[in-house]
Amino acid sequence: MSAERDQGIKGPRDRVPEWADPKPERVTFEQWLELFDRVPDELIERYHYYGNRDAWSKYLFPPQTFSIYGARHLRRLRFDNSLASLRMWGFVQNETERLFRARQTGRRVIATMGDLGAVPVIVNSFPGCVAFYPDCIWWTPFVMESRVLFDAAAELGIGDAACFSRAALGAFAKHSYFPDPDLVVASTGASCDDYSGVEQLAERFAREMLWVEEPLRKECRNPNGECRMDCEAGVRLLTQEYERVVEAMNRVTGHELADDELRAGIARANAVRRTVSRLRELAYGRGVLAALEMMVIEFGNLHYYSDTDEWTAVLDHLLATAEGRAARGESIVDDDALRVVWVTPPADPLLLTYVENAGARVVGTEYVINQALEVIDESGPPLEAIAGSFMAASLIGTSRARAESVVRQARERQAEGVIISGILGGSHCAMDTRLISDHVKQELDLPVLEFDVAPPSKEIGLQLQTRIDAFLEVLRSRR
Amino acid sequence: MKDLLTPRERFGLLVIDEPQDRVPVFPLVTAHAARVAGISVRDYYTDGVAMARSQLVAQETYGIDFISFFSEVGLVAEALGSRYDYPEDDLPLLKRPRWESLPDLGHNPNSSAESGYVPRPADPLSDGRLRVYLDAVAYAYEARGDTVPILAYVPAPFTTAQQLVDQEAFLLGLLTEPERVKELLSYATVSIVRFCRAIIGAGGLPILVDPLASGSVISTEHYREFALPSEAEVIRYLHRYDLDVVLHICGDTRATIAMMPETGADLLSIDRIEIPAAVAGAGQRCRIIGNYDTSSILLSDPQTIEREITEMMKAGRSCPKGFVAATGCEVPVDTPPENVRAFVRAAKEAGVNSGYGCLTSRTRRTSQTQ
Repeated sequence: MSAERDQGIKGPRDRVPEWADPKPERVTFEQWLELFDRVPDELIERYHYYGNRDAWSKYLFPPQTFSIYGARHLRRLRFDNSLASLRMWGFVQNETERLFRARQTGRRVIATMGDLGAVPVIVNSFPGCVAFYPDCIWWTPFVMESRVLFDAAAELGIGDAACFSRAALGAFAKHSYFPDPDLVVASTGASCDDYSGVEQLAERFAREMLWVEEPLRKECRNPNGECRMDCEAGVRLLTQEYERVVEAMNRVTGHELADDELRAGIARANAVRRTVSRLRELAYGRGVLAALEMMVIEFGNLHYYSDTDEWTAVLDHLLATAEGRAARGESIVDDDALRVVWVTPPADPLLLTYVENAGARVVGTEYVINQALEVIDESGPPLEAIAGSFMAASLIGTSRARAESVVRQARERQAEGVIISGILGGSHCAMDTRLISDHVKQELDLPVLEFDVAPPSKEIGLQLQTRIDAFLEVLRSRR
Repeated sequence: MKDLLTPRERFGLLVIDEPQDRVPVFPLVTAHAARVAGISVRDYYTDGVAMARSQLVAQETYGIDFISFFSEVGLVAEALGSRYDYPEDDLPLLKRPRWESLPDLGHNPNSSAESGYVPRPADPLSDGRLRVYLDAVAYAYEARGDTVPILAYVPAPFTTAQQLVDQEAFLLGLLTEPERVKELLSYATVSIVRFCRAIIGAGGLPILVDPLASGSVISTEHYREFALPSEAEVIRYLHRYDLDVVLHICGDTRATIAMMPETGADLLSIDRIEIPAAVAGAGQRCRIIGNYDTSSILLSDPQTIEREITEMMKAGRSCPKGFVAATGCEVPVDTPPENVRAFVRAAKEAGVNSGYGCLTSRTRRTSQTQ
């Protein structure tokens, strides 16, 4: 086995057996079982979260492990066949247990809701605190192919007419997807209306709920359409709101947050964001990582899957893998794959697998988490800097701003089409989708596929399969 | 009363040492499921889809927290060449073990065999009835795997070995030819691990079952020398996948209970041992599953069962690592359904955790945006 392909497992901290990633390929669930047979026990022993060495903190396990515990959709996805990818999936799939272990080992567990990326920077700056997003449980019904959480939410008054993010409410009600948080920081305001409803209904399950107001981003346009962002008032408001978050955290933890601690927290967040930015360049520019893994990676910017240090190490491993592939001229997608920009994260990850299987590759994304991708200014007052970065948020501005981001990425990567996966009942989707679609067509004359993601299922519905196939055929015919 | 959690959510909390809404309830309904579904026992253990459908019906009928596949302990031995009869309405019966005496498998470098012959291990997809189990697991997983854990009993090496060789010769061999016994155990282990791997691929959680390693059959010394190491080897393999492993040894385990955690098992399913003794021996390291008497569930009446289960639950809930209310062994095929219902009803009522999900430990506060 070649040592130069020994990506991400070098270094003096452990002597591990040589591991050589196979040639990059998207492999099936069954193929990962074959690959895992070759993973030496020493590697399984190597990776732990929370810097712990107990058996419960290991996480290098194959999709089969999580499938046995109910993650049935994993059986239908295609996975990157690198060790770094295996590590990433094991780490991410393990998060429910990790949150309970956080509590068991004396950490404070703080739920952050709605803002998708900013408040965890503050929370994680407190020693022994772990932030997480119940919002991200919206994937769970799809991964488990289950209505359980939706049914639980429906019993509390929020049914199928609302966004899939209502799964978070079901999770609160059950007390089995995360430990009861020490504090819930719920952001609302100029954001997703459905999720504000979820937050309000979840309040009954919170020991303490702190509401944070998200301001609207003012976008002034001249007759040529050029935009000037007016963020001053918004930053002022948000800074005050974040001061309240700090006060609440001081009280909950009994620890007075020092300026240096917050700055260090920002630096850690930025390290993650810079790595992800580089991974986006490599994946969307060079095709060295697939869209499914990239969605998981991008959403890691929200709360680092509840362990910043270990997630940072996982990202470093992924980056080493990606750079190695780029240096060797390897790619995980076909060179002539159809290039598409994906707008709004698909609640059903199988959609990404389907589209890639059908011969496309994702070259850009607008997953409504732009605020989590921005590097935070480290030179100014820290809370103001976090507020400033949040003003880039996808959902607090106009649909036009999202559309411009899509157009920018499409131009940069010579995209051949745009896919917008909407959410039935998602308030912003109902407004954004058509506006983004129209803007893309007007600016770039690119075909756009719009659809609403269907509820959890074992497969992509036949009608949608046909629409995707036809769309890709159109893109091919335009070459 | 409607449960707050699904069985899968409940089991998920149990295995990470978190309190559940109530104690999981698991009368070991295996071939009895054939009766519930109205099919012959032979159809149950020879047709994977029939096995799965029976289990699905039984799980729903009784409200059990697990789906578990099992017919008899000879499953792997049959795949390795032992012969079984399939009575129309009873479980398979060992007709002829593969070997009359302990074979010389030549694994041991000190073996006297001139040329050790090692027969091939079992293929889970084609040998014996292993495929029946795999089909059953896959079917049940697709049907209900999001809400109910799917378990598959796998006979352990020691029990399998006793089904491969004339039992008297095997037991005598423990004293006279221990190396050959160990070779045989190693041989069986390879097939068992392969079978476990196939179950994992199908979506099932393997449970290791080793009834012929109980104190009713062998001595404590023989358990330590022969059965325990081979159980541990299979469990080590399952831990590669981070699976929570159940070790089921029915019969008398009073003398071996303190050793059983050395196998690495995460949950111990026990039978003829008092729960306080099991807790004292293994309760600090393992969750305990047990252990209502199976003759009582067959022959007793619902009122008596309810009363006795309530008593059992008091003892079981003292287990520091957690408890699953179960029968000590399989629910007999002809158990009256009302008795199983009584078991489940009583266990659920007595197992409720009234403090689950209550936010009483701290003052609940709400603050509004200024």
